Parts: sequence; C-alpha cells; structure tokens
Amino acid sequence: MEISTFVNVMRDSAGIPFYPVVFQGLYVLTWALHAAFVLLALGSMGLSIYGSTQQKSNPYWKILTPHLIMTGKISVSVLIVLGVAPLLFTQVIYDSGWYVANTLSGAWVFIFIYALVIGYMMYYWYQSANKKGSSGNTLIGLISFAILVFCGVLMHNFAVEAISPTKWMDWYAPNGVVDNAGWNMHLDLIRLGFMVSLMIPVTGIFMQNYSRFLSTREDFEPKYLEFVTNLGTKMAVIGLIISAGLFAAWMLKENLLLHPLSLATVVSVVILLVLAAKNTNSYITTGILVVTALLISGVRELIRYNVMSGIGYDLYGYPMNLEWETIIMFLLTFVVLGFTGIAFILTMAWKVSKTKGIYTATEGSAVSRLANASLTLFILWILVYFGWGMVALFKNTMGA
Amino acid sequence: MDLLGFYPLFYVPQIGSAWLMGLTGAIHIMASHTSVGAALLFAFLAYKAQKENRTDLYDYMKRYGMFLLIFSYVIGSITGPGIWYTATAASPRGISALIHNFVWVWATEWVFFVYEVLGVFALIYFMDKVDRKTHLKLTYTFAIASVGTLALIIGIISFMMWPGTDAYYTTGSASDAFFGTNTFPHMFLRIGFMIMMSGIIGMIISSAMRKENKELSEELTQKMGWVSLLGGFVTVFFFMWYIDTLPANAHALLGMAKDSIIMNRVILAILFSIYFSIAIMKPQWVTRTLAITMMFVIGIVGVWPGEKLRETMRKPWVAGQYVYSNQIIGRDVPGKGIKSEVDLIATQGLLNVNPWIPDRLRTITPENKLEVGKLLTRIACSNCHSLDKGGLYRPLMALAGPMGEAGIKDYMKNVIGTGSSPYMPKIALPDEEYDAIAAYIASQAK
Repeated sequence: MEISTFVNVMRDSAGIPFYPVVFQGLYVLTWALHAAFVLLALGSMGLSIYGSTQQKSNPYWKILTPHLIMTGKISVSVLIVLGVAPLLFTQVIYDSGWYVANTLSGAWVFIFIYALVIGYMMYYWYQSANKKGSSGNTLIGLISFAILVFCGVLMHNFAVEAISPTKWMDWYAPNGVVDNAGWNMHLDLIRLGFMVSLMIPVTGIFMQNYSRFLSTREDFEPKYLEFVTNLGTKMAVIGLIISAGLFAAWMLKENLLLHPLSLATVVSVVILLVLAAKNTNSYITTGILVVTALLISGVRELIRYNVMSGIGYDLYGYPMNLEWETIIMFLLTFVVLGFTGIAFILTMAWKVSKTKGIYTATEGSAVSRLANASLTLFILWILVYFGWGMVALFKNTMGA
Repeated sequence: MDLLGFYPLFYVPQIGSAWLMGLTGAIHIMASHTSVGAALLFAFLAYKAQKENRTDLYDYMKRYGMFLLIFSYVIGSITGPGIWYTATAASPRGISALIHNFVWVWATEWVFFVYEVLGVFALIYFMDKVDRKTHLKLTYTFAIASVGTLALIIGIISFMMWPGTDAYYTTGSASDAFFGTNTFPHMFLRIGFMIMMSGIIGMIISSAMRKENKELSEELTQKMGWVSLLGGFVTVFFFMWYIDTLPANAHALLGMAKDSIIMNRVILAILFSIYFSIAIMKPQWVTRTLAITMMFVIGIVGVWPGEKLRETMRKPWVAGQYVYSNQIIGRDVPGKGIKSEVDLIATQGLLNVNPWIPDRLRTITPENKLEVGKLLTRIACSNCHSLDKGGLYRPLMALAGPMGEAGIKDYMKNVIGTGSSPYMPKIALPDEEYDAIAAYIASQAK
C-alpha cells in the first residue's frame, strides 16, 4: 500500500478550522516556549542537586540551591501548561503522526503521565527535605530528576515515532503479526543528546539574569552575585560549545547542515556564545536565546515537514472548514485578555522581587492599572460567554 | 480499494484501554474541581480578610494554597493533558473529532491555564509581599480565570455526550456544537461539585490547624461545612436538570441502572449531609483523619462511579453522536462534509478498509481465521468490552460465549449489524468477517 494514501486518509474528516500554515506557525512558537522551560527546569534542578552536596560547606551554594529548586519547581508547572499548546496544534495538522505514535506506544503514554506525577511530587518532597536540611535530600532530588528526564525521553520517543511513517507498519505488525501492546520505543540519540545538552547553556544564561536582576537588591552581597555570574558564564559557554557540536552532528545526519535555517541557527549560537562570554547585558543575551529557540523549533518542523511531504502528505491541502466565531474568540482572548493578564502578573512579580518588604501598588501605577484592566476584561469575557451561549441556544431551540 | 482513516489499535488486556482513560479522568476531576472551587473560595476569603482585617485568614489561605499546588497543580495539571494522552491512545478518532471541531476553544482555554498557573504561584507566594488590595484583585481574576477554564471545557465534554440540538449537523459550527441544551446544566452541576470539593478539602486544612489555633480551626471547619452544604445542594439541584437534557440513548442506559444509581446517590447525599452537619454543629469532631477519609469516600464512591456512568451513557458514541466508540464514523455530518462509514464497511469489510491490517490477514483462510477473528474482535469490541477470560469490564467472552458460534453470528448480524441495540454501535460486516469473529469468541469462551 502506498504510504501517501496511508497518511492522507488518516486526516480528520471534519477538516481543519483555519489555514494550516497558521497552526504550523503557532506550533513552532509554542514549542519553543515549552522547550525553554523544559530546559530551565532540568538544568536548574540538575544544578541544585550538585548544590545540595555543597551547601553545608559553601555559603553561596546555601543561598543558591533553594533558589534553583524553586526555579525548577515553577518551571515544571510552566512547561506543563505551555506544553499543552504545541500538543494541540500538532494534532490539528499532523494528526496522523501524533495519533499513530500514541497508539504504537500506548503503554508508554500511560506510564508517562504517572511518571510525571510521581517525579513532580517527589520534587516538592525534595524541596521540603532540602529546606529542613534532611540528609536524604540529594537522593530524593536525584530520583525526581531521573524520573523527569525519563519523561523527557518518552516524549522524545513519541516525537521520533511521529516522523517515521515508513516504519509504522513494521512497528505495528512486525513480520505481519499485529502487536497491540503499545510498548514501542524508538530513540534518536543524537537528537536527544542535543536537546538535553541545551539545559546547560539555558541555565547558565538564566543565572546571568538572576545575578543581574538581584544586583539592585541590597540584601544580596556582590561577592555572591559574582560567584553566580561566573558559574553562569562558565555553564553558558561550555554548554553552548557542547550543544553546537551535537547540533552539527544532528544536522549532518539529517543532511541539513547547509540548509539556510540550520546555518541561521549556527550563526545565532555563535552570537549567543560571544554575548554569554562577554556578559555585558544578559537580558540582550536572553533575547538572542529566544531567537535561537525559535530557530531550533523551526528546524524540528522543517525535518518533519520534509519527511511528511516527502512521502506525499499534503499539509497545505488539508481540507478546511473555516471557523470564524471561535478563532475570533481565541485571538481576542489571547491578545487582549492574555497579554494584559500576564503583563499584570509579571509586572507585579518584577516589582515584588525588586522590593525588600511589602510592595504597594499605588493608584495609577502600572501594576494597579494592569490589575484593574485585567479584572474588567475577565468580567467582560464571562458576560460575553454567557450572552453568546444564550443566543446560540435560543437560536437552535426556539424553532425545534 | 477504499480506505478509511483508522489508527493502530492499542489494547490493554483485562481492563481495556478506555479504563485507563477513566482512571486518569476520575483523578483529574478530583484535583481540577477542587482547584476551581478553591479559587472561588479564595476570592470569598480574601474579600472577608481584607474587609474585616482578618490576617489569620491569609494564613489559612496560604496553607490551603500549598496543598492546592501539589493536589491541583501537580496532579490536576498533569492528569488534565493526561486524559488527552490516554484518550488519544484509547480512542484516537474520538479525540481527533474533538480537536478538529474545538481547537480554538481549547486554545482559548490554554490562555486561561497559563494565567491560572502563573496566578496561583503569585497568589500564594506574594500573599505577604504585595499590598492587600492588589492581592484581592489578583484573587478575583484568578477565580474568574478558573471558572473560565470550566466554561470552556464544559461545552466540549457536553458535546462528547451529544450536541444537544441538530443545528451542528447542518452548520458544522463549533458554536452550535459547543452550546447544546446539555452545556449549562452540566456546567452548574460541576460548579456545585467544585464548591463542595473546596469545602471538603478545606476541612482537611482547617482540621490540621487545631493544635496551633483551636478557635480558628473550628470556625473554619464550620465555614467549610456551610460551603460544602451549599455546593452539595447546587450539585443535586442541577443534577436533576442535567439528567433531563440527556439524549435518548443515555436515558435507555440510565433506565437499566436507575435503581442502583438512585440508591448510590441517595446514600451519598445522606452520608455527606450528616458529615457537613457535623462540621457545622460539632466542628471539633472533624479530625484530619476523618476529613481525609471523606475525601477518599467522595472520590471512590462518588466520582469514580459518576465518571463510569457518564462514559456508559455516551454509548455507543464517543464524540458528538457521530463517532462510535469503536472509532467508526456512524452518521453523516453535512455541515462538515463528514460521511458515515457504516455502509462502506458493510459492503467491503473491515479487513479491506482498515489500512492497518497486515496483507497476510486481509483474506480469511482456514489457517488464519481465528487470528483474523481475534484482530477484528479487538478492533470492533475492545473499546467497551474486556476480551480476556475473567476480564473486568463488560466481559465479552462471558456475555457472548454461551451463545455458541452460530448464536454469536446470529446476534451480530441481526442485532448489532442492524443497529437495533440502543447502546451498541451498528457493526454491519460481510458474512465471512462475522464468521471469523464468531469463531474466535466461541473458541475463547470454551
């Protein structure tokens, strides 16, 4: 059977509610955001485990370790919620790949969920043990870290399977004998190694930001911040060199080393390396890091697009049933309410973290105005929701 | 050869893959409903704390919040996408139908999720770091965002039961699919349960504070008793309206189990009314052990059977009354250009239209008949039935085995094949495929 028939026939018969390229763009954007927090979570957690072995003898590690643990804790929550979006968009346009991967590895899917629950709960335990100074804190942290890395490996497995359509039938029915057990596991070690290696530079640049941000606080001594900066710079530089090597190996394997997107990624990594090594302004470095993350996300999508279109999958010809009402709802919610709401929380977080003691948002201040605007928008949103629902219901039930 | 968009089959022995989804769903409901209920409760407590200058209420909120972080924002936020994942493995075309109808609704919900996750950390960790007025505004927005997540998911899970009216089939519009007659009663039923859950969890926190502050502990247990009672009343009230908005197939199934359901709900209502009354009148009797036990009771005796019931009542459909539980599209949806696959399967057979059948099994021979029968039975039946001997859920071998090979074929052809059963998909197949299935089931039931 032709593999192109195979992948095209699995497209959902309801079609897609908007232009495929929009979902593709949203996927690239949201995957980059998700990955950034995956890397920060794993990196800060890994480093905190080392810190937990040093904190008794080194006062700087005593301050830094709980901060790294907290960073990891919040990052895991953020990575989970940000991960929902690329998960959603990939299912819309590459449904065949995602669903086949999930069914071929159904048992791993189930294990993934509960491993993540256990790994993250153990992380809270690790934080509490570290706070109390319990002797087993490092071990708890290590187990939690290992479980969360394992979850990353499983997610990588789903991604690899989703872009291997020519192997699907062999995996599902090796030698023509169907295997429904869902224990398929297929890794691409170079790709995985590259992705995991990125946690080192991401955490390094985060630490540069951390010390820059706290430099205005009087309760943090400059020597401590210098210690963190140096450590961050070292991690960023060494980590970027390792990641660059693995990226080149990955691109070589994929025959994409000289592709413009791949070259743009290399250039951005070089710029990142120079900026991180100099560390004149880590906020600018972070901006370039975001660009690099988007480029890497783009490279992933390029690989997938090439694989799928290479076997005849017509992504841009996916039948469309335009759906205006709900896309307008999403865009307005995302841009107006989402941006205002997130701006409110982040501005408040910035002010609170810069203030020793209680931060008071005075009338007319940015935080106060954003708080009022967010509250108004949320109330309006709920009113529109019920209004819309009632109109739709009246319309559809009155004639019945 | 015409092919249909099936996916590989993931099969879990003994319990079936759908059971995995049910388990994840039940855990998620406990955690997520507590989360929304607690967000409303926090808005009330923060308002009271600010108005009456009650700093002790902030301590309570902080403790509650820490519990919430693990219970709702670890367990709840992972099992949420977890339902999605396990549903994908168990029922890929069902979840695909939902995604392709409601992607923008889900994307909108995601915006609320992001706000909720950032908001909960800010709400808890900034409680004593930001002025109270700003904190109160944050608490209000957090409450509305939490209700917003419910408002957005409820239309989708109501659509899983049915679109409520025929409008969706004609227009294909997500709005018509989302706002069915079932949506609002379902929403308020869940809001009631959320409020009740927030009170039940609130009692665990308040009872744990007894050693440090007996007076406050009892005052809060009392308040949580009232909150739970209010939530319980709203739940029961809207449950009746909700039942009234269910489709005919759901009522057919409900009718079969009506007495046991009523008995279960009456016992639960009495048990929890007594518990909440004790909390109000004798708060000192509510110990932490009792409060934790009651949380498990509501989970195991209330939520788990409730979810199983909801899943059962949906049969034979999994989404919008057009995708059957066995992944076959069972009706036309002209508004989306969707065509029923039942007739094509009847004429060409599952073996020819399913792209995942190995070539060596596409033609039935005496040598492969049982192997083909096993595969067809798994494809057609395993979403609802345990297929192994001693299987736990609707065990097929025990139900169909006694009919014998000829009886099984006859039942399949004349009942299931004609769509005469209100709760089973219409599975019309060529004769030789019925034969293979019947031979396999009969061989296993021996």
